[in-house]
Amino acid sequence: MLIVIVFIITVGAFYLIHLLPGDPAVVILGTGDSPANRAKLYRQLGLNKPILEQYFVWIKNVVRGNLGTSFISQTSVWSTIKTALPIDVEIIFLSQILAFAVAIPTAMRSARKPDGWLDRILSAGSFTLLSIPSFVMIVLLVLFVAIKLGIPHTGPSSYISLSADWIGNLESLALPSFTLAVGSYVVYYRVLRSDLIATLQEEFITMARSKGISQRRIMWRHAFRPSTVALLGTAGVNIGGLLAGGFIVQYLLSIPGLGYTLIASIGRSDYLVVQGVVLVVSVGVILINFAFDIVINIVDPRISRE
Amino acid sequence: MSTERKLLVVKDLATTFHTPSGPLAAVGGVSFDLNQNETLGIVGESGSGKTVLSRTIMGLQPRNNVEVSGSVLLNGFEVVGASEKEKRSIWGLEVAMIFQDPMTSLNPVMRIGKQIDEILRVRLGMDRQAAKAKAIDLLDLVGISSPAERYNVFPGELSGGMRQRVVIATALAGSPKLLMADEPTTGLDVTIQAQILNLLEELKERMQMSVVLVTHDLGVVATRTSRIIVMYAGRIVEMGSTREVFARHRMPYTRALLEGSPKVSNPSHTRLLAIPGRPPNMLNLPKGCSFAPRCSFATDRCREERPELEAASEPGHTFACWNPLPVKERASA
Repeated sequence: MLIVIVFIITVGAFYLIHLLPGDPAVVILGTGDSPANRAKLYRQLGLNKPILEQYFVWIKNVVRGNLGTSFISQTSVWSTIKTALPIDVEIIFLSQILAFAVAIPTAMRSARKPDGWLDRILSAGSFTLLSIPSFVMIVLLVLFVAIKLGIPHTGPSSYISLSADWIGNLESLALPSFTLAVGSYVVYYRVLRSDLIATLQEEFITMARSKGISQRRIMWRHAFRPSTVALLGTAGVNIGGLLAGGFIVQYLLSIPGLGYTLIASIGRSDYLVVQGVVLVVSVGVILINFAFDIVINIVDPRISRE
Repeated sequence: MSTERKLLVVKDLATTFHTPSGPLAAVGGVSFDLNQNETLGIVGESGSGKTVLSRTIMGLQPRNNVEVSGSVLLNGFEVVGASEKEKRSIWGLEVAMIFQDPMTSLNPVMRIGKQIDEILRVRLGMDRQAAKAKAIDLLDLVGISSPAERYNVFPGELSGGMRQRVVIATALAGSPKLLMADEPTTGLDVTIQAQILNLLEELKERMQMSVVLVTHDLGVVATRTSRIIVMYAGRIVEMGSTREVFARHRMPYTRALLEGSPKVSNPSHTRLLAIPGRPPNMLNLPKGCSFAPRCSFATDRCREERPELEAASEPGHTFACWNPLPVKERASA
């Protein structure tokens, strides 16, 4: 299943890149060079062969664990990905911690009294946040938060790696993590709120109540777990989406994650890097969803039994 | 009758739901009491308010859009008007409930052992080991084989009858003085029903509890209760000792209920007498007797004026009817 999906995605990506305007030979040799030199370079790089053949050469190397070497930068594609991927992972990790940390308690408060004043405020707030796209959110955050607090927010030097300075690293990833967290929060809050409201109507909640245990315990021990199935499914899809779609935030803040690398490589017609990133991201998305499916099965024993 | 010996004294209890279509009087003007170690049956059709009544007695009605008036004195604790926090002190320990449908009343994602020992751990402060040992004892008590292994299963791995045994074990965990059994066998196979009812009866004796047995099935209460309350449209329409109600019921509705129950003494293929019409719309109750529209004895007075409970010949037997069945008429039962 995984292999079939990855095959379809990589074939699609391979064709799409070649449809794009842009020519690696022009990028490498400059616009002034002669057509003859370009043709020579094409032969060296194997770009003169039919696209299908190029694909099979590439996929054969991938299967052997070799993602190739960029025509443009002459560095190995795998090492490029290896430096960029941890940044994506960290941003996603931070954003999800933040999103869940806020979504779970607010959803619980809302579900306790649906349509109460607190629920109305929280729901209205989440709708407002939902309607702000991430690229607008980033600009607003830079304007009103980053400049005031002196958080690095632009330019190639704005990213500080975790090994160099962890406080600086957290500061440099605060804006993108926060932006992604906002989008995730809204979705998680809404999904969990409605599932909690439904669960709290269940008879087993009345039964739990009849044991004389606290409201807090009913919420956490009885209502929460059976209400998380849709939340976890949504989180799997959402996190996959963040891995694949994080480029907007990364590009706007010059954070050299996978998304940034992808955009930059498309601009340079750096085919092999684009291919490598697409491959890694698609495998990543599939694995994330797979992992969440396993978690769902553990959380709700009814599902695996059926 | 001194109040001291009564475990439960209910006076003028009324439960009204505020629905979008107006107030719904699910229970109105209910008064009765219950002795220590007594089993009381509450009988009525679906929608007669018996489930709401049993929950209101515990104070377990929904938290929003409900109004309760009157008084429920449960072992000296006034339930009506008590806050959720105050009621928590009696829930589980003084009064516990067995719910109707064991398919929905157990938490599907919590191991059954954890659901049983929750009261022991949280309410009685037992440590993990002791609570687990007690929970396994309880599973054994309610007749679940290999209780130590079953402690760790999820409700979905058990049959309906087994689940109801788990619900009973959970209710018994806090050694309550009063057990509210809300249609405890309705969701179960007929063959399992008698087992569960016998188990309840046995446990009641063993643990010195009082039991309120709520059911639509007169057969269930016939041999297992000392007294019966018959409810219709949220009100008590007849109340008395079980023997008296079966033998000398005065209210036509009670007779209709009796005639609607199958009896072993009937020849096979006897048609059961269905009560004509449908239970009244609780949002728009008739002015007089709620049963009048379905009653073959109804007169103009029945339609205009609501009958109050009045005493029958035997002490403790009361009925609400303008045209009661004559005393000499023995039950067709």
